[in-house]
Formats: sequence, C-alpha cells, structure tokens
Amino acid sequence: MRLAFILSEIGSGLRRNLSMVVSVILVTFVSLTFVGAAGMLQMQINQMKGYWYDKVQVAIFLCSEGSTAAGCAGGPVTAEQQQSLNSLLESPAVAQYINDFQYESKDEAYKHFKDQFSNSPIVDSVTPDQLPASFRINMKDPEKYQIISETFASQPGVETVIDQRQLLERLFSVMNGASLVAVSIAGVMIVCAILLIATTIRLSAFSRRRETGIMRLVGASKTVIQLPFILEGVIAAVIGAALASATLWAVAHFFLGEYMSQQYPDTAFISSGQTLILAPALIILGGSLAGISSLLTLRRYLRV
Amino acid sequence: MIRFENVTKVYDQKARPALDSVNLEIDRGEFAFLVGASGSGKSTFLRLVLKEDRATSGAVYVAGQNVAKISSWRVPRLRRGIGVVFQDFRLLPQKNVFANVAFAMQVIGKSRSVIRDTVPEVLKTVGLEGKEHRMPHELSGGEQQRVAIARAVVNRPGILLADEPTGNLDPTTSMGIMGILDKINQNGTTVVMATHDDDIVNEMRKRVVELKNGVVIRDEAKALYTSMIPVVGQSRRLKDASGRETPDAGQPGEGEGQR
Repeated sequence: MRLAFILSEIGSGLRRNLSMVVSVILVTFVSLTFVGAAGMLQMQINQMKGYWYDKVQVAIFLCSEGSTAAGCAGGPVTAEQQQSLNSLLESPAVAQYINDFQYESKDEAYKHFKDQFSNSPIVDSVTPDQLPASFRINMKDPEKYQIISETFASQPGVETVIDQRQLLERLFSVMNGASLVAVSIAGVMIVCAILLIATTIRLSAFSRRRETGIMRLVGASKTVIQLPFILEGVIAAVIGAALASATLWAVAHFFLGEYMSQQYPDTAFISSGQTLILAPALIILGGSLAGISSLLTLRRYLRV
Repeated sequence: MIRFENVTKVYDQKARPALDSVNLEIDRGEFAFLVGASGSGKSTFLRLVLKEDRATSGAVYVAGQNVAKISSWRVPRLRRGIGVVFQDFRLLPQKNVFANVAFAMQVIGKSRSVIRDTVPEVLKTVGLEGKEHRMPHELSGGEQQRVAIARAVVNRPGILLADEPTGNLDPTTSMGIMGILDKINQNGTTVVMATHDDDIVNEMRKRVVELKNGVVIRDEAKALYTSMIPVVGQSRRLKDASGRETPDAGQPGEGEGQR
C-alpha cells in the first residue's frame, strides 16, 4: 500500500513538473555522454596498446616467408640465426641496456593479434604464417633505443627493429588530451545538472507543500514524505544516463564499428559491446548524483 | 494527557516570551477551550504539543511522554496520536472528500481494505455520508471543516487539537461543528480547542483556560468565555462593563483577533 502510494506520488510529481523533468533528463544525458566519451577514449587507447605495449618498448621482428626487407634476402630466419640473436641479447654489451626480453613465436603473435583485432574484419584474413616471430625487449632506459636498433638491424634474419612507443605515443597524447577536454566539459555539465536537479526538487516540494504539510501532521514518516521527491530526481537522472549509454553504444557501433574500421582496417577499435561496460557506471553515477543533491535540497526546503 | 510544567517559550530574546512559565494539565477525555486574544500564546501552546517547536525551558508531556526526549525519527509516531484541525481547513483541492480523508491513512501505510472500511464510517460520524465523491470546492465551509475533522480523527488519535475551527464559519454552522467535536470527545478523545468565539464557549460550558501575554490567567471548569468571578489584578483593568476584553492599545498584536 505504502509502495503504491509512493509510486503514485512520484507519478503525479513527474507529470506536474514535466518541463523541469525533461530538462533534468537532457542535462544529465549530455553531461554523462561526455563522461562516457572520456571513458571510451581511454578504452580505445588500451585497445590500441595491444598485448606488448605496457611490457616492452622495442620489438625485433624476424624474417618470415614474405619478407621483402634487405636483411631478409636469405629467406626466413633460421634456427641458428635465431640462436645467435638470442645469445647476442644475452651478451654483456647488450644486456646492460635491457631488463629482460621475450621471444614471441608466430603462433603467439597470431594469438595476440587475434585479441587486439577481434573487432576488425582483418582478423579473418590473417594466418599465423603471415605474422613474423619477434624478440620483445624491455629496456632499462627507453631512450637508448638507438643502440639496440644499430646493433640488430644489420644482423642476418632480422627484418626490422621498431620502437613501438614512438609510433603510438603521439596519437595517445592527442587522445588523452581529448579525454581531458571531455572530462572538463563533463565536470561543468555535472555541476549544471546538480543545480538543476536541486531547483527542480525545490519547485516540486514547493508545489506540493500542502500535501507534505498534511503528511507531517498526520504522522507520516520522513521516508514516506521525502522518498517521492528523491526518486523523482533519481528517475530523471537515470533516464538521462540510459540515453547517454545508448548514444555511446551507437557511436561505437555505427561510427567506429562500421565507418572507421572500414577506413582504417589496420587499427584496432573497441567494439560496441565494450561500451556497455560504461552503462552501469553512468547510471550509478547519474542516480547517485541526483539522489544526493535532492536529499541535500530537501533538508533545506522540506520540513519534516 | 497533556501536561505543561513551567513551560516558557521565547521566539525573540528582546520581546516578551510567547508562553511564560505555564503550568497546565489536561486529563484524558477532557474538553478544554483555550481562549485569549491573538498573541496570547494559544497557537504556541498547540505547536509545543505537536513538537513543531521546542520549549525554551520547562517540560511538555504528551500521553505521559516528555516530548523533548522524543527523537526526531519518532516524532511521526507522536503526531499519529494527535489530530489537528485548522481555521482554514487545509484540504487538498484536487482530491475528493473520500480521497482527502483516505490520504491521512495512506501516508501512514494503512491497507486499502482498512481504508475502504474506515473512511465511510468516519464520514458518517461527521455527517457527510453520501458526499464522498464531492470535490472540496463543491462543499460549503461547514462541510469542508467536517472533512478536515474526519481527516484529523480517522486514525483514532487520543488527542484532537483544534485551532479556531469555527473561525471562518457562521454561528449556526459553528454549532454543528461543535456538536461533532463534542461527539468525538464523548468517544474518549481529549479535545483542546483554541477559539475566539464567545457564543460557542458560553454554549458548551466546558473547561476554559484563558491565556494573556503568555500567562494562564484563568482556568475554570464549566466556565464562560469571560470570567464570572473577578480575576487577579492586572486583568481586571481590561474588563469593560459587558465583561468583554477591550483591546489594549499599549500591547501590539492584541485586538486583531476580535471579529
């Protein structure tokens, strides 16, 4: 009975205050979309980093069947060549610059590739044979990349030596900047949303002061009096958060998934499914912001 | 049922207290009028009983409990034991008669079937059977006040506080309302009614507590609106030949309650 009563109170509150409720929904929608966009950019950065990015700095790719590089004139890397590279890496001259290194076989390379490009159509057309084996090196000082490069580039069986960080770091700094901008805009919008929710709840409490006055007099509990107002704000904010989540999903699905991945097939993009991880976070964030701000407002404007 | 022990209430340090060392006891099942000019402390008395305000000093006991010791989350329980009626009815304009009365039960979580049984019964007590589906604006003032009384007593409170319930009504209608309050009192509810209406007080012949400037100056059983026996010093000066109080020009806030 009490639940039904509270629900009907919420319904009448939302109806009476419709324009304010719509504005709360829109403001939370926009602000949480920015929050989510920042989250998506970070997810995209992680996706592009792939398996090795955080573990190593330099990759020495070994010759495979189709290699056309000058050092690969002698065909694919042989077991002896690989062995001598391994002992070169362990020799004191080189070992002083590196923490450790790992060998990545063709099969392992294929496995990591599949993980990183799981959302891209390119994954189906690649076989383990096409991917080169490599040594992955964790440098003591990433700045010393030149030394490794000079030592190994001319070794037999080495296709190329790549400093992966250098390739991606500039792109990542742009993306980090963009997510910082998104977070700043989101911050301003969230302040806006909180104030708007507070105003809405205040108006709602004012327009129903007769009812709440009578409720106090006949001894309704604080919960029964306040809950409808708080839930009004929370429901509006949760609808806004759901819209924001849907927007992020649509961006990932249609823009990244269908347009960008066609344009840049060699880049790993996040899938639309991954953005759904953001949805509960946004809904909880929106709901709790609304709940807290309406609770604080009621403490000032609704005597119980 | 209601006991005031040395209760003082000060709203503004510079002004005189709204209630000044009031000692008063109203027993269970009693019917008491609270009379006095505006600003004499009648409303403050009622507010203290409801714990809308806290006494500056002294103790207020309601149903044996010191209200100052009731924690804020138990105040609703205190208020469930007290019905309140106002001069301006305070009905919800968009709800019909039945819904207005039912509202008082809904908000404290009574089940729908209990509400369906109780509300018509109470409406019958106040003489409104058959008008369940009228809206407040379709009712006369007297009928609206009956709805308000029905709402105040529907949860069977032990105490009914009425703050000038006949203030907006004509004499005949007022007597009808008094009949209802008397009936509620007969059923065992303690009734405390603040009023300016001398005809009603004289007609009912109940206990009269007269307040002046926050002090109880008279407490008489089966009394009239004005005292038959001469009262102590300061107030005698204020009585005119007809026995009615004259507005005291020197006291702000006095006299405005005279109609």
